[in-house]
Amino acid sequence: MLELRGVRHRYEGRVVLDLAQFSIPRSGTVAVVGHNGAGKSTLLRLLALLEAPTEGQVLFNGTAVPRRAPASLRRRVTLVEQRPVLFRGTVRENLEYGLRVRDVGRTAANGIIGDVVERLGLQALLPRRRHELSDGEVQRVAVARALALRTDVLLLDEPASSADRAAAGALYRALAAERAARPFSVCIASHQLEDAYRWADDIRALADGRLSPVTPENLFRVELAPGDGVKAARVGNIDLVVMTDRAGPVVLAVSPTDIFVSKEPLPSSARNVFKGRVTGLAIEHRGAGVHVRADIGGVELVAAVTAEAARDLALTPGGAVVFSFKATAVQVF
Amino acid sequence: MDFLAEGLRRAWGLLIAGDSEVYGIALLTLKVAVVATAISCAAGLPLGYFLATRRFWGRRAALTVVNTALAFPTVVVGLLLYGLLSRRGLLGGLGWLYTWQAIVVGDVLLALPIAAALSAAAIQGVDARIRRTAETLGAGSWRTAWTVAREARFALAAVITAAFGQVVAEIGAAMIVGGNIRGSTRTLTTAVALYTAQGDFGLALALGLVLLILALVVNIALQVLQGRGGGHA
Repeated sequence: MLELRGVRHRYEGRVVLDLAQFSIPRSGTVAVVGHNGAGKSTLLRLLALLEAPTEGQVLFNGTAVPRRAPASLRRRVTLVEQRPVLFRGTVRENLEYGLRVRDVGRTAANGIIGDVVERLGLQALLPRRRHELSDGEVQRVAVARALALRTDVLLLDEPASSADRAAAGALYRALAAERAARPFSVCIASHQLEDAYRWADDIRALADGRLSPVTPENLFRVELAPGDGVKAARVGNIDLVVMTDRAGPVVLAVSPTDIFVSKEPLPSSARNVFKGRVTGLAIEHRGAGVHVRADIGGVELVAAVTAEAARDLALTPGGAVVFSFKATAVQVF
Repeated sequence: MDFLAEGLRRAWGLLIAGDSEVYGIALLTLKVAVVATAISCAAGLPLGYFLATRRFWGRRAALTVVNTALAFPTVVVGLLLYGLLSRRGLLGGLGWLYTWQAIVVGDVLLALPIAAALSAAAIQGVDARIRRTAETLGAGSWRTAWTVAREARFALAAVITAAFGQVVAEIGAAMIVGGNIRGSTRTLTTAVALYTAQGDFGLALALGLVLLILALVVNIALQVLQGRGGGHA
């Protein structure tokens, strides 16, 4: 649907984004994770066709987008910025803005606005103005304003960063309802892995403007058996021990920092202890950390250790390694 | 101080009596000022928006030129325009020298840089996210510009006021290309200068007062218009 090819983007001479290829598939959900300053917002602005890359191409449905994207093309993609702004006027007027631009009739516009307002619980806010709203409310209105346009691609930059837990839940439920009603592509940039785990078919990590070879892997879609407490989930040739009351289709996630790395199995409280082989070592945090990738029973797991620990363990690609983590370290989404 | 008191008395008398010469001069001044302000803002505001929002080669140089033009001496503009409009000048064929149109052209040349430079500054002061949001919601160039301008409406109203202030108080160019012809191109400022030189302080003061009242009325009108646009954000 939307693709970046050979993109190198500079601000004041500094390369802030360097991507050989990045695409959002039709009706797909992509999460881009990374720390602040990793280039997520720049990436979304390029995908929203608001800026043209210094070098490289943006393609929409396989066709190259001109440097100044025409409004007709921009109208097929919408971006909700990390700290969105509302225009002067009421919340209702803000929700109407994009519809008026598209010459949607008043009756049809009222119907569409009624839908999104109900989904996001914004009825009470309609007559209010921006100075009467909290940051979280502004964010919800901005998401509603974008959803009302029913674009082919929706880009969300940290959509729940100002929302409390309940509001974030409502926001994601509204997104799910909208996606159930009609297919569209979503790309969410977030530094909260939880958002990514919960939402995306595909998770990509950005670090210093590049796609990081070490994506926050350790994600497994599994079917959990009913029942409370400790249960096992089959992943590849291993059984992950997990403590949860959840059942049915879930995503299991193990943070790379929660995994102990050793050469031999160690007696400990960890219920998940797996032998495997190192498949790769990647230096992170300017040499201070190492991401250890290992093949464990046909499953690739990534553990984060300090450079010193990696040296002490004399880890080398192909060498034997043991990964251990507690059942409670396995997050369920 | 006596002449001031005497002048004020005289001024009051002329205004109350509805002196046709005073009101004629005031009306011409208002006409010239309104037309010149309208033209300079109609061209200067879009130019300011363009300079503030577009990145192009030579943008910095263009901004420097506009900012330098702010300090252009009015008599120099008058002199250059005189050269252009005189019979042998490039625009001599228009026959505008010593007409109110010539004063308008001079005033536009002086107010245009004000309108462009100050509106560029006003637009630059608007949060960049407003423009991006309008664009990502699908607005075309004109609607985006309108949306951004609405956010800067107070600053832009001040730009119009400043342009009007420049035009209504201008004397150098008006004197040179207008010629200060009684009943034809005599504006309030040129008349004040003339009557002061002739020693008729009362009339000069009366016209000065009219000038102040004119500026006050226009400013109040602009503020009322702003208020109607909605005080709240």
